[in-house]
Amino acid sequence: MSSRTNAGSPGGGASKGGKMTLSRKQNLSGWAFLAPAALLIVLTSFYPMFRAFILSFQRGKGNALQWGGLYNYTRMFKDAIFLQSVKNCFFYLIIQVPIMLVLALVLASLLNNKDLRLKGLFRTAIFLPCATSLVSYATIFRSLFAVDGLVNVLLVKFGILETGYNFLNHAFSAKIVIILALIWRWTGYNMVFYLSGLQNIEYSVYEAAKIDGASPWQSFWKITVPLLKPTILLTAIMSTNGTLQLFDESVNLTGGGPANATITMSHYIYNTSFKYVPNFGYAAAMSFLILILVAILAFVQMKVGDKRD
Amino acid sequence: MKKRILAVFLAAAMVLSLAACGTKGDDGGSGESGASTNENELTVWCWDPAFNIYAMQEAEKVYQKDHPDFKLNIVETPWNDVQTKLTTAATSNDLKSLPDILLMQDNAFQKNVISYPDAFASLADSGIDFTQFPEAKTAYSVVDKVNYGVPFDNGTVVAAYRTDILKEAGFTVEDFTDITWDEYIEKGKVVLEKTGKPLLSCQAGEAQLVMMMLQSAGASLFDDEGQPDMVGNKALEKVLETYKALKDSGVLIEVNDWDQYVGSMTAGTVAGTVNGCWILASIQSAEDQSGNWAVANMPRLVGVDGATNYSNNGGSSWAITSNCKNLDLAYDFMKSTFAGSVELYETILPKSGALATYIPAGESEVYAEPQEFFGGQPVYKAVTEYSKKVPGNNTGVYYYEGQDAISTALQNVVNGADIAEEIKTAQETTEFAMN
Repeated sequence: MSSRTNAGSPGGGASKGGKMTLSRKQNLSGWAFLAPAALLIVLTSFYPMFRAFILSFQRGKGNALQWGGLYNYTRMFKDAIFLQSVKNCFFYLIIQVPIMLVLALVLASLLNNKDLRLKGLFRTAIFLPCATSLVSYATIFRSLFAVDGLVNVLLVKFGILETGYNFLNHAFSAKIVIILALIWRWTGYNMVFYLSGLQNIEYSVYEAAKIDGASPWQSFWKITVPLLKPTILLTAIMSTNGTLQLFDESVNLTGGGPANATITMSHYIYNTSFKYVPNFGYAAAMSFLILILVAILAFVQMKVGDKRD
Repeated sequence: MKKRILAVFLAAAMVLSLAACGTKGDDGGSGESGASTNENELTVWCWDPAFNIYAMQEAEKVYQKDHPDFKLNIVETPWNDVQTKLTTAATSNDLKSLPDILLMQDNAFQKNVISYPDAFASLADSGIDFTQFPEAKTAYSVVDKVNYGVPFDNGTVVAAYRTDILKEAGFTVEDFTDITWDEYIEKGKVVLEKTGKPLLSCQAGEAQLVMMMLQSAGASLFDDEGQPDMVGNKALEKVLETYKALKDSGVLIEVNDWDQYVGSMTAGTVAGTVNGCWILASIQSAEDQSGNWAVANMPRLVGVDGATNYSNNGGSSWAITSNCKNLDLAYDFMKSTFAGSVELYETILPKSGALATYIPAGESEVYAEPQEFFGGQPVYKAVTEYSKKVPGNNTGVYYYEGQDAISTALQNVVNGADIAEEIKTAQETTEFAMN
């Protein structure tokens, strides 16, 4: 009521008053619906980010902080453990993400087959790892790959190994175990995105290709992949982001060891804040480096993936 | 219809979980203040129902005899949560969420008091007689000559052995008492050959055994000023050498986590262990091995000045926070229980195995009782004797940084890297972290 009287009162744009009121009303209710969520995001996400950014320019132990300028940002490039953790994260990224995405794509197009029976069962089975808690799956993988764990027992039984191999105590094999765990945990998650993307591709396109004599291999590469490009881009960016922020696997599966061979950036950031003498400024600065890395990689991927010009 | 029912269920579940979150939030916050406001009540954070929580409950009963109105509010808080909550409270300058008393790992004591000096109450005027505790123990909680902690449990190192396995190899526990690591390896090889069992297991990537060996010679990773003292540290070199020799000879096997470590003892795949005396509680969980265990002191380093057969690993102390409104009550409670009541320690020992660091308690008869599980050996008396001989050392503020750097070095050394080179890297890593 009040808004109508307002609009009716003499003032700006009185001649088109009726229309303005309606759009204004809609605008207002739009803002009203947005405001609580937006406010919460600003308060709980953007404000802490801003404070963390300021914190990243301070140095000192615990509470005794003083202005340090760019000290933290230069310090991290001399920090052997941090550089090692960056290297580890990129190792996971370069090896694991492509394998996982290709696997998810292949599984998705297999499970998209109209004639396949028990489709729901297979889809659920592959998606299910995603529903497990990060900590518990990491713990299970650790016991699977223990010296007397299931994997070693099987390898010895089939005569591949003579005695159990301590997978988690050797730098290279520990990294591989983490990659295997990540593939197991996240392939189904990405597959679901591809499956939903595939619903938008007309089945007749495949039929037409078949009539033209295309092999399944060809229709996969010439039809599925190009038409799914936006989804592939999305999953690639999400996986990159996730891998650079990897934490649970490093902490629970390998403890960052042996000799920091599997430690991730987030794990090291956690250590500098809570395990060691707290150095929050430095931890905040390292977190911002992750942000910058993710932003750069996402930008590159978008440039490469987007050919619309 | 079906869908509607499902929707109702979903909505109900959501409401319930929201409600659950709500109550949980209330519990965690317990208002704005973590400390008790009632003048006869104290709030305590500690973590083990069978051990330190139980001890606190008994302490409450002891104190209630003279102070019938007294009440303790014990909040079960795992150590990692204590550390996180403390860090959060101290860094946000909002100490109101802290309890009156909290239990702190000895190795974290220096770091926390120096990082957050405002969070803790000095015990200088508390009237507690700290000479009643071994100096090596109180040293953990002394900063700038001021006491901040009341020592609680004992981390004196014991070497525990399976006497039945030793017998199979032709040894008794006397053969493993007052020995050196060289003798330990020689005899361990015989045991391994005759029974197929290693003498001890260790968690790979954990430097605990290394830290125990270091302290047994009064050595540390840090000098008295708290600066890293690794390069040219003869004791440290010898320790890493010894560990590698243990591993290479097969007398020591490495496992991946704590459960596997305890499992190796309870399942009987190893013939013993070396650890803080709190490990005796885990050993005794294997009831079928009752009567087959015995305790001796740990082996000593060869060729290191000041080497002894005694060391310490772990343990904790009570700290009073500056958020405590009833400082006098807290002082008096501590003085009359953990720092003054032999009766308290006599009560908690048999049930929890909580070994006191309070020296007068060690003279109690309860401590001298023979323990059936250990073949009639009065192990608690033995451990109390050991604890008096533990050399003190400086853990430093940067204990965890130093330990992690050394554990990295250790893993590389075990895989064949050069000891001097690795120690140099560890020193650089620690220096970098401190800078």
